[in-house]
Amino acid sequence: MFLEIKDIVKSFHNEHVVKTLNFQLEAHQTLSILGKSGCGKTTMLKTIAGLVSPDSGSIILNGERINDKKPSERNIVYLYQEDLLFPHLNIFENIAFGLRLKKLSNTDITERVSQMIKSLELEGQAKKMPNQLSGGQRQRVSFGRAIITEPSLLLLDEPFGSLDAGTRQRMQVLFKKLTKEYQITSLFVTHDLKEAVLMGDKIGYMHKGQLKVYEGKKEFINDPNTGVQHEIAFWDGLKVNSD
Amino acid sequence: MKRYWKPFFLSFLVLLVLFPFTYMVLLSLMSGWQFPDFLPSYFGFKNWATIMTSEGGLLQSFVISVIISLSVAIVTTISGFFISRVVYYHPKSKVLNVLAYFPYILAPVVFAACLSFFFIKLGLFGNVTGVVVAQFLIAFPYALIFFSSFWNQKMKSYADLTATLGGSRLQTYTKVLLPMAKSMLLVCFFQTFLISWFEYGLTSIIGIGKVQTLTIKVFLFIKEANYYYGALSCCLLIFPPVVLLYFNKRYVFKKMV
Repeated sequence: MFLEIKDIVKSFHNEHVVKTLNFQLEAHQTLSILGKSGCGKTTMLKTIAGLVSPDSGSIILNGERINDKKPSERNIVYLYQEDLLFPHLNIFENIAFGLRLKKLSNTDITERVSQMIKSLELEGQAKKMPNQLSGGQRQRVSFGRAIITEPSLLLLDEPFGSLDAGTRQRMQVLFKKLTKEYQITSLFVTHDLKEAVLMGDKIGYMHKGQLKVYEGKKEFINDPNTGVQHEIAFWDGLKVNSD
Repeated sequence: MKRYWKPFFLSFLVLLVLFPFTYMVLLSLMSGWQFPDFLPSYFGFKNWATIMTSEGGLLQSFVISVIISLSVAIVTTISGFFISRVVYYHPKSKVLNVLAYFPYILAPVVFAACLSFFFIKLGLFGNVTGVVVAQFLIAFPYALIFFSSFWNQKMKSYADLTATLGGSRLQTYTKVLLPMAKSMLLVCFFQTFLISWFEYGLTSIIGIGKVQTLTIKVFLFIKEANYYYGALSCCLLIFPPVVLLYFNKRYVFKKMV
């Protein structure tokens, strides 16, 4: 397995936020994680990224235990709901940021960033500053900035939460395209049932600090705790009423 | 009708604001203006020429003031930026922020009197280093309070994101935090420079007359009723702030807008 999370526990002031977390993920796959606010999703992602230290348990990435590694040495990128583009850098430099940290040559950076701009469908925007872009464009730059560094694992914390429905749909398509193109392994946290089903190769549901990963989408849909059945009943009811 | 008077009223207001400055410059060029004479007996650059001589000690005071204020502003801005971050992440950050207001509860003169014992013991009484330290004690809490608004959850997210993108702690500062705080750093430098530049009470007590900054000099001339030298030193006193204001307006406020 590419990613193995074993018995991770994390508490804040005697409150168990993450309780014996166990799951595995194969390389180049996306695990969608659903769950209510405050169930421990963000803490779980931050623990894997190294931004929060776990009380116990192991994080194994590509066969190596990475618990003691600094966030900068894990090659795991954590993306927030906000795009967090650097306001003092233009779009080109924002995307190139991770490559500049790695001190790659200018020729290499220019070539890779230009290719990424093309993949993100942002041609002609390279010289613009972040405040000149729309919300969807900013989120695309944020993706590009993360993916260009070729992370071993990409952690996405409700990345489309602040986007309107149309932009969100376009971003979902783009994300699928990019993860395939760059062979990204990722954990995708969302509140949206449909998004979880669309984005994930596997789906997990987090409740009170515990994560349950479903074997297949059918099992996820049939579990009454996930709320899918409730959603289906709602739309069916609406259909019957309109008939 | 209202519109017709508007430009005149505004011009009048501008004149009203500019008059004291213009009059001060004119006064610095005069000498021997006794009542009831309509004009002064001398009008020229004689007073200004004394800057270059040791007679008034103005050039020396100007240089001392610049050294003190630059030292205070540089040390305060840099230390304020980094220490405010430590305060933000400290479990007792609220208490520490409240404590930062403490030096402003007391009048500077009272504050200086309270500190004087320690300054004597440390051999900092009556010298430039002592004045720099004393002014730092006033300016530093200001910088701390000023930068407290910079550190927030979003800045932490930026720092965390930089770390996960592969950035070291040094790179997080040099590539992200410092460039993002550039405008605030410049404004803080400007403000702390002004705090130090116009500081009188603390400087007069800790400096005990041996450290004669330009502000101290202005008061001395006014006490002596030497209005012409007083005006001259006032012109020198406002010169650096005007230069800083120009740079701030050009490079900071423009960007902020």
